[in-house]
Amino acid sequence: MKSVNLLSRLLRKNTSAARVAGFVISNFIGIAIVLAAIQFYCDARSLLDDRDSFIKTDWLVINKKVASGNTLGLTAVGFSPAEIEDIKRQPWVRGVAPFISNDYRVRAEIAGGAHSLSTDMFFESLPDDYVDVPPAQWSYRKGSMEVPIIISKEYLALYNFGFASGAGLPRMSEGIMSGIPLRLHLSSDDGTRRLEACGRVAGFSNRLNTILVPENFMEEANETLGTGRVREPSRVIIDVSRPGDVAINEYLEARDLEAAGDKRNSGAAFLLRLVTGIIAGVGGLITLLSLAILFLSISLIMEKNRQTIHSLLMLGYATSTVGSPYSRLAVTAGAGALLLAYCSVFLLREYYLSPLRGLGAEPGSVLPMLAVGLGLTLLTIGINLAGIRRRVIGSWRL
Amino acid sequence: MSPTSSDSTRIDSISLNGLLPRVFLNEPVPPSEVWKSRLKFSRGETCLVEATSGAGKSSLCAFIYGLRTDYEGTILFDKTDISTFDIPRWQALRRRNLAYLPQEPGLFPELTALENIRLKNNLTGHLPESTISEWIDLLGLSSRKDRPAGRLSVGQQQRVALIRALCQPFDFILLDEPVSHLDPENNRIAANLILSEASRQNAGIIATSVGNHILLPYSRTLKL
Repeated sequence: MKSVNLLSRLLRKNTSAARVAGFVISNFIGIAIVLAAIQFYCDARSLLDDRDSFIKTDWLVINKKVASGNTLGLTAVGFSPAEIEDIKRQPWVRGVAPFISNDYRVRAEIAGGAHSLSTDMFFESLPDDYVDVPPAQWSYRKGSMEVPIIISKEYLALYNFGFASGAGLPRMSEGIMSGIPLRLHLSSDDGTRRLEACGRVAGFSNRLNTILVPENFMEEANETLGTGRVREPSRVIIDVSRPGDVAINEYLEARDLEAAGDKRNSGAAFLLRLVTGIIAGVGGLITLLSLAILFLSISLIMEKNRQTIHSLLMLGYATSTVGSPYSRLAVTAGAGALLLAYCSVFLLREYYLSPLRGLGAEPGSVLPMLAVGLGLTLLTIGINLAGIRRRVIGSWRL
Repeated sequence: MSPTSSDSTRIDSISLNGLLPRVFLNEPVPPSEVWKSRLKFSRGETCLVEATSGAGKSSLCAFIYGLRTDYEGTILFDKTDISTFDIPRWQALRRRNLAYLPQEPGLFPELTALENIRLKNNLTGHLPESTISEWIDLLGLSSRKDRPAGRLSVGQQQRVALIRALCQPFDFILLDEPVSHLDPENNRIAANLILSEASRQNAGIIATSVGNHILLPYSRTLKL
């Protein structure tokens, strides 16, 4: 008979199948609850998130509140250099950049055969660091006159649901819109200088209520067509180091400033976070209790087998060999509970995913859930292995 | 210098320097040739430590085997103080250098006699199965080898424990009252077996006794 079997027979004495099963079940329930909460959060988040691929969440676009004073020209709409300096000095600010406006006229034309459509419009630009688009899609080669543009999603909605249906024009999806070349007619205020360019929609943004072009194009066009007047920027973008800091809201309120975008669903998003957080917390607590069950069960078995462990060490068996039946028990039970938890989360997901898709959610990644499950199990196993080692060494001398 | 002394994995001598169990610290120590003395056991030597009951012979074995540390003075294996050994070092010594037959056989009662022997031999891989069978026959255990050790008589357990103790290479073997429950015939057989194994490996023998000692050709007898 192999010594491994002999060892297991000796050391597994006093093992209670009921206690081990108790651990597996409670650990499975605990981890499954934590993982289900995390997975549901990942899957449902897209419903509430106002994330935008062009602008990071910790970037904040602010402008001055429009009041009648602005309209009458009594108060300034733009940010003076002193005001920008003041923002820069706030502890929650990593960087500030102004939006640069066009100092020339822009007329855009969609060449659509008989239905050509043209409109006056405006451009703004931001330093490239603040536009989160791969450089390949967001580059303008000087003189090429081929300009990538980011448009607010709202403008497309305005066209589709307001203008197009009224004027009998076809509606356009984001995909179609991106494929249509825009002819841009740029001219100086007095009409003496002109430039022709070709625009290409590089993307649609939820959070930027503007029409954005690359900074170097804006500089080139302003230089060529502009009047040279220095205008104060009406909006600035802030790279916030501590998103969610109450100091930010206090600062904005005190100066009559407002942050654009991403406020729409903050209440619901907060509620989702809170509820899934509470559920994950309860699951975490159950996981912790199950860890205690396994730890105490193994401790109890080892305490009852203390003399056997001591005798084996006396024969010359290595501490790791003597601990291995218990280590295997901890690893198997932990891994078993984790597998059960993974399976149940995937089953649960099958159940809720289709109604969630019906609401327009895009399923999130399962990686965070898998990683947290693995982490919790490794923690459980690690704590138990450490406890087992300590107990074996504790049996070295009776 | 002996041919094996350069081998760092072997022990050539065990030295005791002023050794005394702590329980004796506050008592008058009866005259002893072991406690509080300077002693050296060498490989190849066969030594009998004679004692009266309670003089501490089992403690002496437990100190040398690393089971207990409640003593004053030092024990050296060659030139190294054994109190500096860590657990892995002791485990290696108990597999390769130091065999021990305790007074209490310490078998696992739920394993059979044969399984108890294999438990040690599987660890060391020292003896072929045929030798184990031969020794079981020699010590009259053939009909008992598949019985749980807990159901064997003390004398039978002592013989099983003896075979188990020999299932490893050793430089020294500690025998703590090895034949206390054996008849003269089994005493003789056990003695021959131990002696042949010890001489084959040029090992030292340290045996204790309170009267009925194992019949070996002792090169030295010490009063504890």
